[in-house]
Amino acid sequence: MAKRYVMVIDLRRCVGCHACTVACKSENNVPLGVNRSWVEELETGKFPNVSRHRLPRLCNHCENPSCLKVCPVKATYQLEDGTVLVDYARCIGCGYCIAACPYDARFINPERKTAEKCTYCHERVEVGLLPACVNTCIAGARIFGDLNDPKSEVFKLLATQAVTVSKPETNNRPQTYYIGADGKALRPNLLEILGGEKS
Amino acid sequence: MMTVHFFEVNHEIYWGLLIALYFFYTGLSAGSFILTSLGTVFGIEKYKRVAKVGVLMAIVLLAFAPIHLLFDLSQPGRALNLFLHVSGTSAMSWGVYLLILYPVCLLIYAWFMFRQDFVNGSKGTGFKAGLYRFLLFGKTDMSPAAHANDQKKAKFFGTIGVPLALAVHGYTGFILGNVQARAIWHTPMMPIIFLMSAMVSGTGLFILVLLLVEKFKFGRLRDDIKSLIADIANLMKWFIVVDGALMVIYFIVLWYSSETGYAAAYFLLHQDFWSFIGLENGLGMLIPLLILLSKKARQSIPMVAVASVLTIIGVLAMRINLVIGGQRIPLTGSKIIEYVASGRDIGIAIGIAVGAAVVLTFLYAILPMNRAGAEEKVSSSTTKGVAQ
Repeated sequence: MAKRYVMVIDLRRCVGCHACTVACKSENNVPLGVNRSWVEELETGKFPNVSRHRLPRLCNHCENPSCLKVCPVKATYQLEDGTVLVDYARCIGCGYCIAACPYDARFINPERKTAEKCTYCHERVEVGLLPACVNTCIAGARIFGDLNDPKSEVFKLLATQAVTVSKPETNNRPQTYYIGADGKALRPNLLEILGGEKS
Repeated sequence: MMTVHFFEVNHEIYWGLLIALYFFYTGLSAGSFILTSLGTVFGIEKYKRVAKVGVLMAIVLLAFAPIHLLFDLSQPGRALNLFLHVSGTSAMSWGVYLLILYPVCLLIYAWFMFRQDFVNGSKGTGFKAGLYRFLLFGKTDMSPAAHANDQKKAKFFGTIGVPLALAVHGYTGFILGNVQARAIWHTPMMPIIFLMSAMVSGTGLFILVLLLVEKFKFGRLRDDIKSLIADIANLMKWFIVVDGALMVIYFIVLWYSSETGYAAAYFLLHQDFWSFIGLENGLGMLIPLLILLSKKARQSIPMVAVASVLTIIGVLAMRINLVIGGQRIPLTGSKIIEYVASGRDIGIAIGIAVGAAVVLTFLYAILPMNRAGAEEKVSSSTTKGVAQ
């Protein structure tokens, strides 16, 4: 059976150190101002009833990616193992994939001038290494592996834990699973952001 | 629940002014073409008189529209990839072929429309006669059979042109409508709304261009054109009614849709109030509609001209509100994304507009614009033009 790479992010372990963001930038030479992976942090409630939430975001390597469907030159493609990649030599930089991704996962690399996003560190995974963010995570909150392998940690976590994904309604079938993610982080109150509701 | 994002990253809006303008230009082209097809394809005799004005406008606007896209690409040198790699699932890929087929069809259609005038004007020396001789490609037959053939072919290519015009603008609606990530775009109404607003703005610009062409080509506005403009103004009134109805339907359903849909409706109504309610639907739709409701106003050239200008502003605002407004609503994080058109983009937009105006003026100046119902006067003015 073919591999199916997924990432599980266990937010019970995440401390919000942003080491993953930095490792990703360093590994992938991501220019300033843009990010393949980042961590959103928020506070909810009012003293003394407060809490902090973190939400690492990255490309969800969706099973049914909308970015792939809209690309007019098929520069975005999906490997058999589920990894969604961009052919940097073919991309014309039209920005359609960026407009179509529900997760803000894509951007135009200001130096390369093509669309870009997280690749699950494909060149590392190919040679048996872990993605840089997973490798560097100080608390082991990011877990990467093959969902089709029942012995893998991601399989065990998905089988035994309550997991959520971001925007499941989009039919993208995202493959980044969160354990213990806060709903207000996954889906901020849009009406409040647009000025329609006071908190 | 009180929620404060204290760390998030910024996201950029990549589809800005140039994309909105591209949609605006293709709309103007499609709208003006459909209007001219009323004569050649649907056989309404009086519209045949102005078919040439409309078809040149449709061709030039469509030729300039994709330049916006070229400048918007981060890798414009790879634009050829659009032809080398076809993607059936991408509306943008459909458009590549429509953007080739449609102008080619229009050029052939226009050629059959102009052929007899080229023959008439090809005698003698001078730049125009030489140009006409070249453009004839040796087809100088003026027999009744050839005349009938011209009309038949113009009708044939015009008939193909109608669905192509609908497709070339409809597909731009699909570009936005197919994006399920953004509730403000993701509606099957998007292609229809785009088509109808294209008819409105295309008619508006067509009236203005027609007035200018008549003024500069024939010196004064003849009564038949005056009454035709009143007719076109009446059509425009109905286009606005349908477009307005579509906008209302779109908005109501958006209001009652998902959380993101309702938020988008709220955004249009509040954050985007001046642009959405004020410019797009007030100044650009309601006021011209009120003007055109009056029969007296429809017969007044200045009133029709004002209404035309307002509809053009309204539709331009609509393109900007949808394309850019749609991306200002955040998908992640907690901030409305700000957009400011760069000086480069504004410069390119002005450059393309000026370029299109210059080319269009040049074509109107050198091509034989005489029309049915004004043969005598026009043919003499044509000979005068050639003699000069």
